[in-house]
Amino acid sequence: MSDTAPLLSVRDLRVQFNTDEGVVRAVDGISFDVAPGETVCVVGESGSGKTVACESITKLIPMPPGEIAGGEVRFDGDDLTDASEKQLQSIRGDRIAHIFQDPQGALNPVYPVGAQIAEAVRLHSDVSKAAARDRAIDLLDRVGIPEATNRVDDYPHEFSGGMKQRVVIAMALAADPDLLIADEPTTALDVTIQSQILNLLRDLQDEFGMSIIFVTHNLGVVAEVADRVVVMYAGKVMETGSVHDVFERPSHPYTKSLLECLPGIGRSMEPIGGSLPDLTAPPEGCRFHPRCPHATADCRSGSHPELLEAASDHRAACVYYGPGYDVSAIRGDGEAETRATDGGRDDSHDSHGDSR
Amino acid sequence: MSMLWYVSRRVAWAVIATYLILSLTFGLLVVAPGDGQTAFAFKAATQGGNVDDAKETFDEITGRDEPMLTRYKNYMVNMATLEWGWSYTRNQPVLTAISEAYPYSLMYALPATLISIVLGYAIGLYSATHQYTLTDYFGTFTAFFGISIPNFWFGIMLILVFAVDLGWLPSYYQTGKGVWTLANAKQLILPIIVLSTGAIAGNMRYSRAEALEYVHADFVKTARAKGADDWRVLVRHIFRPALVPLMTILVADILGLLFAGAYITEVVFQIPGLGLLSYKAIVQQDTALVMATTLIPVFIAIVGNLLQDIAYTVLDPRIDYGGR
Repeated sequence: MSDTAPLLSVRDLRVQFNTDEGVVRAVDGISFDVAPGETVCVVGESGSGKTVACESITKLIPMPPGEIAGGEVRFDGDDLTDASEKQLQSIRGDRIAHIFQDPQGALNPVYPVGAQIAEAVRLHSDVSKAAARDRAIDLLDRVGIPEATNRVDDYPHEFSGGMKQRVVIAMALAADPDLLIADEPTTALDVTIQSQILNLLRDLQDEFGMSIIFVTHNLGVVAEVADRVVVMYAGKVMETGSVHDVFERPSHPYTKSLLECLPGIGRSMEPIGGSLPDLTAPPEGCRFHPRCPHATADCRSGSHPELLEAASDHRAACVYYGPGYDVSAIRGDGEAETRATDGGRDDSHDSHGDSR
Repeated sequence: MSMLWYVSRRVAWAVIATYLILSLTFGLLVVAPGDGQTAFAFKAATQGGNVDDAKETFDEITGRDEPMLTRYKNYMVNMATLEWGWSYTRNQPVLTAISEAYPYSLMYALPATLISIVLGYAIGLYSATHQYTLTDYFGTFTAFFGISIPNFWFGIMLILVFAVDLGWLPSYYQTGKGVWTLANAKQLILPIIVLSTGAIAGNMRYSRAEALEYVHADFVKTARAKGADDWRVLVRHIFRPALVPLMTILVADILGLLFAGAYITEVVFQIPGLGLLSYKAIVQQDTALVMATTLIPVFIAIVGNLLQDIAYTVLDPRIDYGGR
């Protein structure tokens, strides 16, 4: 994947929120690339900065209090961090589309779904209302809404959760985007619906050929959809590599702990002790050291470790990959292999049938 | 259930409510002392007439000597046929007195309402989208100022400054200047300012609060992610859903125009509108006129509630009119 020019290239991106409690460095110097047609999963606990990172790409974060404090976001060669609001508006929904976590809230309750899709169509192409409506029906049909012609004028509350997410996806596809940023698109859904939505996204990616940034805390989902994985923790990238490498040979102690949290067969799951650091005053040294079983004196002082080569196209931000350390101490080689196929399960909450 | 069925049921309820209110008013009139008879007799006495004769005449005209049921029937028929009685203080039918006063109220109430709706909503929406900025604080402060100062005090202060000290504007309203004249416009400026400050503040607070519900809503983020510009997001994705609860106030504001007697403003500025008419009727115990000027707002409230209910169902697709 790395031989093509990346569609999106995030370099040393820093995003902070100026709050009454101090400056929250929600994203603190992250870098990753997305190649055309590729699916990159951004993984991490709640509060690790995944969402902020993704919403900073098109500057959807509320500014103020949010602020892009540094770095660049190159999309197809242009740096979006210093693009004007007008330029961003023409990119949003056209070349870069978003899907959000909660389909219940993502649709405006006072407009029919078709009108909301048609709005996205008409914002980026000069077509008549009737043509936009036809396109909305096509899109609804494409994302698997039965009898799209009859449902185009229905209101969001007349759809189930899974169907709403399909509508949201249809809206995101309205202008045939190059990049789709899906922020936990299945988290709020029933398990059976989750896999339907994942399959739908995969089919649509094959058809439309767009790149996808998939934000999730669900490693099972990662295993299903990702080409590459970016593991985030406390505003930093801890590890990045192909999905196979990261699952087979997790190289950062944090990634390892994350994988151990997965419920598996014939094995107890082990939660990570402690909690995320306070981002107004992150710990010295490695962000993860207070919770890391392998932390050394080097981990507790200085700045967060650089991303170091753990293997070819597989990097981890851990001092153990630097000179003078024995990597096998954190790898526990061989142990991880049994886990690669354990994923695909997530606790889910409220269930809505995926029908009318 | 269809919307038509829902609306007709609401209309039926409005009719029943009106009937109950009219009956209650009748009951109050029967038991109330000084229902105009005394005032009528007093007037006769001052003009050299016989008090007892006057009282008898009054009873005859008003039908007070009839049996209760007949009086009730007559009262209801009169109400329904807009025979709302005779104003003894003004020597004209009650409805004529009202229709003569109404244009004066409308002259200041219409601009004041329009200004307060437009400015109030504009400031409110601006404040909501710029929450906790300096301009938001300024708007909020202005709103609290507008709500807090009493109209009578504010009116008198404005008269003192602009009419007495500066001499720019007249200190009270004079009739007979023609509706569309500069002189008339000048004497309406102060009442409009007094009336709209409080109303702007109210509209601003309500629209700010309602818009804030949606400023951070997911669907607003979705709209921005679609590439909608700020104006489109504000109008279509924040204001439009916020309009559902705001409708309550909007309908009340607009209906208020139908009976726009602002008592204090009219008394302070001596505008011969509905407010002053009603005020004088109360002071002079002109029962029929008092009743008319208080019943009209009651009917307007009933119609207003009806219109609000209908407006909700039109504006909010989620409202189900089947269950109620």
